[in-house]
Amino acid sequence: MDLAKALSRLRRSLWVFHLNTGSCNGCDIEVLDALTPYFDVERFGIKLVASPRHADVALLTGPITAKTLPKVVKALQAMPRPRLVVAIGACAVGGGIWFDSYSVLGGFPQLERLLRGLGIEIDGVVYVPGCPARPEAIIYGITTLLGVTQQRIRKRVRSASG
Amino acid sequence: MSFIKILGVALSRGRATIRYPLEPPLITPYFRGRIEIDPSKCVGCGACARICPPKAIEIVEQGDKLAIRYFVGRCIFCAMCFDVCPQSAIEVTKDFELASLTLEDLYDEVVHSRRRCSVCGEPYLTTKLVDRVLQSIAPELRERLEMCPRCRRESVMKVIARARIRYAEPVEGG
Repeated sequence: MDLAKALSRLRRSLWVFHLNTGSCNGCDIEVLDALTPYFDVERFGIKLVASPRHADVALLTGPITAKTLPKVVKALQAMPRPRLVVAIGACAVGGGIWFDSYSVLGGFPQLERLLRGLGIEIDGVVYVPGCPARPEAIIYGITTLLGVTQQRIRKRVRSASG
Repeated sequence: MSFIKILGVALSRGRATIRYPLEPPLITPYFRGRIEIDPSKCVGCGACARICPPKAIEIVEQGDKLAIRYFVGRCIFCAMCFDVCPQSAIEVTKDFELASLTLEDLYDEVVHSRRRCSVCGEPYLTTKLVDRVLQSIAPELRERLEMCPRCRRESVMKVIARARIRYAEPVEGG
């Protein structure tokens, strides 16, 4: 199947799978919050599914502990292409306060590198910082992935002299 | 029958869902978002980098340049850097819409120039920090501030080595 064609099909509806990789449950509560009628992500056609085989997007929370790593790899491998990932929270984006701890992989960028070595491609990633990420921030991340909202943050290098 | 009752309540209460990306979100006065470093106030002392629990703020030394690098992706929004900054250069904003498609865009750098040691010529602190401290210390100490920590220690040790030594008188029966 053509990947570009498959990605364009995602404009219709996203089915999400909640993948906890050793998170403290802070971000997980915020994910559940985003699914409640108050935020109601079904406005964008987003629906929570119970199996990664049905999902377009993995909502990845947590710093990826050594204990969860084989299960995370298996779950992401089970997802059909195009595989999209929303890395939610400080842990999933940069490892959080556990970034250099012995028992964690330290965030999704490291996992992506590891998956590439295993031959598992990730077709799209959006990083949602926050500790925990607000439900609005998660919605903003997913709508950025869909192209409804524009990415606002840019890399900045400023000089302190003067 | 209870469904009819709920329908009545739902109709009287109206819509509960917020139209978030289309309308502004609810932000309380206590909410802490991304920090903003003011490059004109920052002196590059590194107090923020030292206190930061997840090391989201780092000091990157590269030759004549020293950068305060803030990686928002790892930030836990504790605002300890805001509390500790001696220059009040850090401001806590309400910005939380930080979603990014690349990791690169989550970095924010403030680049400082470093002062060179007057003895060995090695770069050490930032020029802004040295200039600020020079204003507030006694004139006789200024010469040592222009040295890097290693040369400063050596110069102090040279003075101490030449100091006159007084021995205590031996105590009877002690």
